Amino acid sequence: MTTLSRILPSARGLLHKVSVNNVAVTAVAVRHNTTKTYGNLSDEDRIFTNLYGRHEWRLKGALARGDWYKTKEILLKGVDWILNEVKTSGLRGRGGAGFPTGMKWSFMNKPSDGRPKYLVVNADEGEPGTCKDREIMRHDPHKLVEGCLVAGRAMGARAAYIYIRGEFYNEASNMQVAINEAYKAGLIGKNACGSGYDFDVFMHRGAGAYICGEETALIESLEGKQGKPRLKPPFPADVGVFGCPTTVANVETVAVAPTICRRGGAWFASFGRTRNSGTKLFNISGHVNNPCTVEEEMSVPLRELIERHAGGIVGGWDNLLAVIPGGSSTPLIPKNVCEEAIMDFDGLVAVQSGLGTAALIVMNKQTDVIKAIARLMEFYKHESCGQCTPCREGVGWMYKILTRFVKGDAQPDEIDALWEVSKQVEGHTICALGDGAAWPAQGLIRHFRPVIEQRIADRDAAKAAAAN
Amino acid sequence: MLQAGSAVRGLCKAIRPSAPIVKAADKAMAAHALPATLVLSRSQSNKPVVADNRVEVFVDDIPVMVEPGTTVLQAAAMAGVEIPRFCYHERLSVAGNCRMCLVEVEKAAKPVAACAMPVMKGWRIKTNSEMTRKAREGVMEFLLINHPLDCPICDQGGECDLQDQSMAFGSDRTRFLDPKRAVEDKNLGPLVKTIMTRCIHCTRCVRFASEVAGVEDLGTTGRGNSMEIGTYVEKMLLSELSGNVIDLCPVGALTSKPYSFSARPWELRRTDSIDVFDALGSNITVNHRTGEVLRILPKTNEDINEEWLADKARFACDGLKRQRLVAPMVKDSKGDLRPCEWEDALIVAATALQEANGSVAAVAGGQADAEALTALRDLVYRLGGQHVCTEEVFPDNGSGTDLRSNYLLNSSIAGMEEADLVVFIGTNPRYVVLVLPCMSPTPGAWCWCCLVCHQPQHLGDSSATVEQLCAGTHAFSSKLAAAKRPMIIVGQALLGQSQGGVLYAKICQLANKLRGSVEPSWRVLNVLHRVASQVAALDLGYKAGVAAVRQQKPKVLFLLGADEGAITRSDLPADTTVIYQGSHGDAGAAMADIVLPGATYTEKTATYVNTEGRAQTTLAAITPPGYAREDWKIIRAISEVLLCVFNVVAHEEPMNVMLQSVGAARVDGSAVLRPALLQLEDYYMTDVVSRASPTMAKCIAAVKKEKSNRYHSK
Amino acid sequence: MSSSRLVNLRTARQVKPMLSLDRAEARTRVINLYKAWYRQIPQIAIDYDLPKTQSECKKKLKEMFMKNKDVKDIRIIDALVIKGQMELKETVQVWKQKHGIMAFWAPTVEPKPKDFMGKFLDGHN
Repeated sequence: MTTLSRILPSARGLLHKVSVNNVAVTAVAVRHNTTKTYGNLSDEDRIFTNLYGRHEWRLKGALARGDWYKTKEILLKGVDWILNEVKTSGLRGRGGAGFPTGMKWSFMNKPSDGRPKYLVVNADEGEPGTCKDREIMRHDPHKLVEGCLVAGRAMGARAAYIYIRGEFYNEASNMQVAINEAYKAGLIGKNACGSGYDFDVFMHRGAGAYICGEETALIESLEGKQGKPRLKPPFPADVGVFGCPTTVANVETVAVAPTICRRGGAWFASFGRTRNSGTKLFNISGHVNNPCTVEEEMSVPLRELIERHAGGIVGGWDNLLAVIPGGSSTPLIPKNVCEEAIMDFDGLVAVQSGLGTAALIVMNKQTDVIKAIARLMEFYKHESCGQCTPCREGVGWMYKILTRFVKGDAQPDEIDALWEVSKQVEGHTICALGDGAAWPAQGLIRHFRPVIEQRIADRDAAKAAAAN
Repeated sequence: MLQAGSAVRGLCKAIRPSAPIVKAADKAMAAHALPATLVLSRSQSNKPVVADNRVEVFVDDIPVMVEPGTTVLQAAAMAGVEIPRFCYHERLSVAGNCRMCLVEVEKAAKPVAACAMPVMKGWRIKTNSEMTRKAREGVMEFLLINHPLDCPICDQGGECDLQDQSMAFGSDRTRFLDPKRAVEDKNLGPLVKTIMTRCIHCTRCVRFASEVAGVEDLGTTGRGNSMEIGTYVEKMLLSELSGNVIDLCPVGALTSKPYSFSARPWELRRTDSIDVFDALGSNITVNHRTGEVLRILPKTNEDINEEWLADKARFACDGLKRQRLVAPMVKDSKGDLRPCEWEDALIVAATALQEANGSVAAVAGGQADAEALTALRDLVYRLGGQHVCTEEVFPDNGSGTDLRSNYLLNSSIAGMEEADLVVFIGTNPRYVVLVLPCMSPTPGAWCWCCLVCHQPQHLGDSSATVEQLCAGTHAFSSKLAAAKRPMIIVGQALLGQSQGGVLYAKICQLANKLRGSVEPSWRVLNVLHRVASQVAALDLGYKAGVAAVRQQKPKVLFLLGADEGAITRSDLPADTTVIYQGSHGDAGAAMADIVLPGATYTEKTATYVNTEGRAQTTLAAITPPGYAREDWKIIRAISEVLLCVFNVVAHEEPMNVMLQSVGAARVDGSAVLRPALLQLEDYYMTDVVSRASPTMAKCIAAVKKEKSNRYHSK
Repeated sequence: MSSSRLVNLRTARQVKPMLSLDRAEARTRVINLYKAWYRQIPQIAIDYDLPKTQSECKKKLKEMFMKNKDVKDIRIIDALVIKGQMELKETVQVWKQKHGIMAFWAPTVEPKPKDFMGKFLDGHN
């Protein structure tokens, strides 16, 4: 295995760390006792080296960037070795929930009962603000195909299904080309990479429903049924697609797996704080000067991320109103919280939000924040599958209340009603869409209650004035 | 379980002619809509080894020992705690979408859906905690915000789950200030009325249609708040079990169209009874008010109909009020039937019987009860008559009807669950005995005929196939021989035809041969009857078929509800006096010289024996209309007039005669075995009551019209 | 228990008379009532336009009185007399209607048949 050494030029030049594979763990342990800062990922530590599509995305370019390098050796090292590397890396699911990937994959290694196992790659990237997977699929599709093979090997899967969002036409085209190239080059298919392991990759295009990004709904949709989440248990690891054990994993999670295996789990773990390790694709959109997708180290401070990569807030940092830090489902955080927020799982939970898909939606002070959240709620109302009661009825209700809040056409006690309704939805639904719909409303009330109250008071005053 | 379910659904489709999979599976099958000879087989099921691996859980601190895999809801039920629910139904698959059954489990972060969550060892379930209460109240509020609350004009009022549970768990006021959702009503046909705004999306009806009725017509369209239950495209719910969705609907979204706005549940009196529209003997509850039958609901009987009921049994009850014979009638000198007093009619009838001097015969129809059959048989024998017959035919060859096991569904309806292979010969179980398909072995695993099976196989349409099967030369014979618990179910299309006797004898031989290789208590041969009276009649010594009467040419022919035209005026000499006793003015009354008005099954306490030989009693819910009387009483009154008083016995034990060996007879292989009821429109009117029912007429019209619907699947 | 208390109990059980103190007085009351009815019969027949002759009415009057001829209890006789007076008043004041008077001639309750045939023809179960 390659031993890589790297010098991490710290942003503020506080620490220089030599990270060699076998000392990396120590380094991680040490780091937490120091005042280490994170961010400013160097180019040689980037996994997605063609994120902006400046190079060839086909097999030739991919090989030039180091993809498919010694994949056979990785496969031959066996299931336990791959799982161990992934566990060491501390990789957590990149789709939003952040479940430890190594543990999830190891669930599949129960004694076989004769049913084939499947890997399903969730490429149904529909979360507003999130656009990381499409960059991988259109500019680095071989990373994903190779990831499928490595991850599939780790869980003994027979095949991988890539469920790609229907709107991603070009991405699907590139993916299919990449899959075809990989088949032709013998990288996947029978005796993949010459490892003696048979592995197929299929791509399935969705029809544009956000809910199909939920893992069990995705499985239903893949089976040709209505995309409605299933009850758990049984979990997909027991009864998944076509009734067989299945793991559903995010594109980014799968795509980083080969690099982790090549460069070592410890290398990956050397980035970010413990339990939040690795590099991550961040999407920065909204009122920033330079909206972008960028690969950055985990635990990078939010402010640094915006200012370094997105060119700062439109109108300057002081013009910042709030940031939705992890895709539309996470509660927003206002400017004062943004100052100190750390972009990782624990750091954002600490400020009552979440990392989600690490898609930052930045809003400056020219934003009508109530209208913004109302618009998000409209999205959730539209995308709720309608299967279970709290989500079907509750999200529509929250939308109706929020639309009236935009104009101030409400009673002040409806703010509490909205809070309670969102609490009645949260945690009572079959899947997490209900939670994701409830949180933005809760974030709004938590941080911008005076704004809503003012809006209501203004309208009442205007009405009173008109009546006189 | 899931896989079994889908395989079974496949089977349902194959059985139900309208389902598209039939075409895909077998062209011959599709061409004939439904095969006459059909085979169902199921994979070998391993009986679970009984061991005490139960786990202990605590429901509100009450300890219960439950099997692993028991859901929280079931465990709570064992502890005597009822958890509210809307979508959960024990005979349907678990949907878990209403979220009414959320309960707190200690150390769980979120409340769990009790209907779907299997218990784990040592769980402490709290059905009355603050979290549980909050969750229920929240769900209740959500259900009510878009529910119209039009209870005063809703037919479900008084028997509505939503009403009851909102009283128990709901809040007393709403915080919802916005306009409510409104949904367009769907047209599901003449039986099921829809008010879709009331729907709470529990999907019980959808699951019933696909899992039990075997039609995939119902489903959900749209997402989120605009989700709707419907038929996807504008079409009818083409199922003969459609009425059951009315019972299943926990709110007033699906109600009964014929019964709409006619009564409130608390005004009704309920009388338990037995259905007589088919030979299954489904248990029913007759709902009546002021001497009028308003509706009929199923009554749970795990061994027969579980809790389902066929549409004819449920909706043909308005036929009980129409075309009724309400006064005795005697033909006058001009040959017209004139209403008269009972005294006159009885004297005319008795005189005719006396003067016949022994040349008397009787024919019983499909809804005659055992008491009347007994009385009539004794009367005819006492007068010196020879022939008491039934309209329905059964072969006379071999031991004929001497052995009771020759004409019963020996394995019993519930016993069909255990069969691993079923061969239907000459019958369409879908329309003959409707609820039969609904039996299920366990809640959650849904099957057709309780068979966890592969795709059904169509063996053939002609008697030649039967002969090959019996001779063991058919390709299927090896499979049949290998089955551990095979069932052969023989129906009227085989029994009723000219060669029925020979074929039946051969099937008996085959069954005997198969019995050699199965466990001793297992019965292979089964007969599926069409009409309710047949088994009782055969038990009582009636002869099946009217051939003997035709030959005898009796002076007096007594028809007991015989309306199916088995014997007509042209079969009889001109001087034959025909006495018709029955409830409705139909074919029988039209050819009669003396008409004696009888009672229908809702008006008499009488015994019926179903196709598996189970004797059950109807209870009189209302009194017969006009001068109509209970049937056995009419016959006894005649005999009183004849001065020969005799006692009425309920029914007699069947005669036991040794099985006679059956000679090998030649069979013409070209005879086509086609069940009479192949199409849905054939199903609705099969007897006097359903022929008199306007609702059934509407059903037929609707089904026929549906055929011109461009969405109708051929 | 002392004998005086027993006596007290016995006297307490003795009933208070309603109107008449002895049979002779009760008989007088009955005859007076009969006479009162008897005298009113012509007027009643006119008031109600009864399709009956006076002799028929008198016959019916006697029949109604004779129906209770075996009553011996003075209190019951008194009660019947009181009822008869009320009836008379209602009749004379024309508080009744014609059918109420005619009902004396047509008893509405017929005996129920007991045998099978009778029940059958009557339509009783």
